[in-house]
Amino acid sequence: MNCQEFWDSLPEVGANADVQHAAECEACASLLNRHRRLVDGLKTVAAELRHTGAPARVEVGLVAAFRSHQRPVRRAARPHWWVPALSWAAAAGVLIVAALSLLHPHQPLPAHRNASSTVEMAAVTDSTDAYAADGDDDFIPLPNASRLDPNEDVNVVRVEVPRSAMLEVGLAVSADRVSEMVEADVMLGQDGVARAIRFLDESM
Amino acid sequence: MNVKPPETDDELFVLLRGGDEAAFVALYRKRQASIYRFAMHVSGSASVAEDVAQEVFMALLRDGCGFDPDRGTLSGYLYGIARKLLLRQMERGRGDVPLETESEEKVLPGLAVTDNALDDLTHREGIEALRRAIGTLPRRYREVVVLCDLEEVDYADAAGVLGCPIGTVRSRLHRARALLLEKLNQDRQPRPSVSTLKPIRCFI
Repeated sequence: MNCQEFWDSLPEVGANADVQHAAECEACASLLNRHRRLVDGLKTVAAELRHTGAPARVEVGLVAAFRSHQRPVRRAARPHWWVPALSWAAAAGVLIVAALSLLHPHQPLPAHRNASSTVEMAAVTDSTDAYAADGDDDFIPLPNASRLDPNEDVNVVRVEVPRSAMLEVGLAVSADRVSEMVEADVMLGQDGVARAIRFLDESM
Repeated sequence: MNVKPPETDDELFVLLRGGDEAAFVALYRKRQASIYRFAMHVSGSASVAEDVAQEVFMALLRDGCGFDPDRGTLSGYLYGIARKLLLRQMERGRGDVPLETESEEKVLPGLAVTDNALDDLTHREGIEALRRAIGTLPRRYREVVVLCDLEEVDYADAAGVLGCPIGTVRSRLHRARALLLEKLNQDRQPRPSVSTLKPIRCFI
């Protein structure tokens, strides 16, 4: 076996491979030793990064997206005869309200989305900037999240997240409560990506 | 009777596709860190890594997510999506210049590397230098070092992620390690001092 064949056939420098050639060839033995020390260094780098992971806000957004994605499926699984009737009645009601608003225009009230104890999803179709409206609702834009289009429909989903997620958006949390869970409303854009969050309990 | 909770990726995948949120969260917590680190090492950016981690797991929620257990592991599938997203990101940013002229199959071991650089790998500074050196590798070598050496993905899975034969993974890894040794050695070469520089001409 020549040097080239030795290096081509060596599966892993860390493993006990066929090192017969290395025993005969001083240059390859020396280089093999350097490769092994390099691999040890790489293992140290890997060990140092072992606890590095995505920030908590990614999990928050994904759980919200998961719930948003699952909700229509659950609805479709249990159809009831009164659902279409109720939908038509609601649509008719919306049309009547819209017609009355056109006849008697007035100043629009700020939208409030009061979430119930279960997961809540609300479609907001205001033509105002969603984040501007969020100022009233204590929604905090998520870091690196793109802004919502003024006419974009949003969904609000309630999730339970570690209190450490509050740190991600700049809220203070006392060290002994970091691992506690806290309820939060997450605002999702049309693409299902989380844009803003509101914590129901912001106490430290 | 105690029922063993599902632990394998495939079991969690089946459950999450059936709408089990706990399975989705469990899979995310099990796999997010390695995907995030892979993206961070390859892109060199924490914000890109965060976006990639989010998009990778969003892909699992989509109807035609395309994962087939017969074709590979879920972990490999997630890395594959991450890599595609990163390549797309790099295409947009054009931040990487591939070394297309180098042969992949022939790896010549003849590099003049001193032991001093490797001695440093037992110190904090040496490990930092190694991390920097990984970041300066051409992308094709960087991703194989991150997958195989830092994240300990086996060669077969890495080949699936990178879309190349196992032999190519092996040769790229050898080449990557040789380049790392070279870079570490270059870092240790003393810079020429000002007194040794010869002024040539001044036009001002």
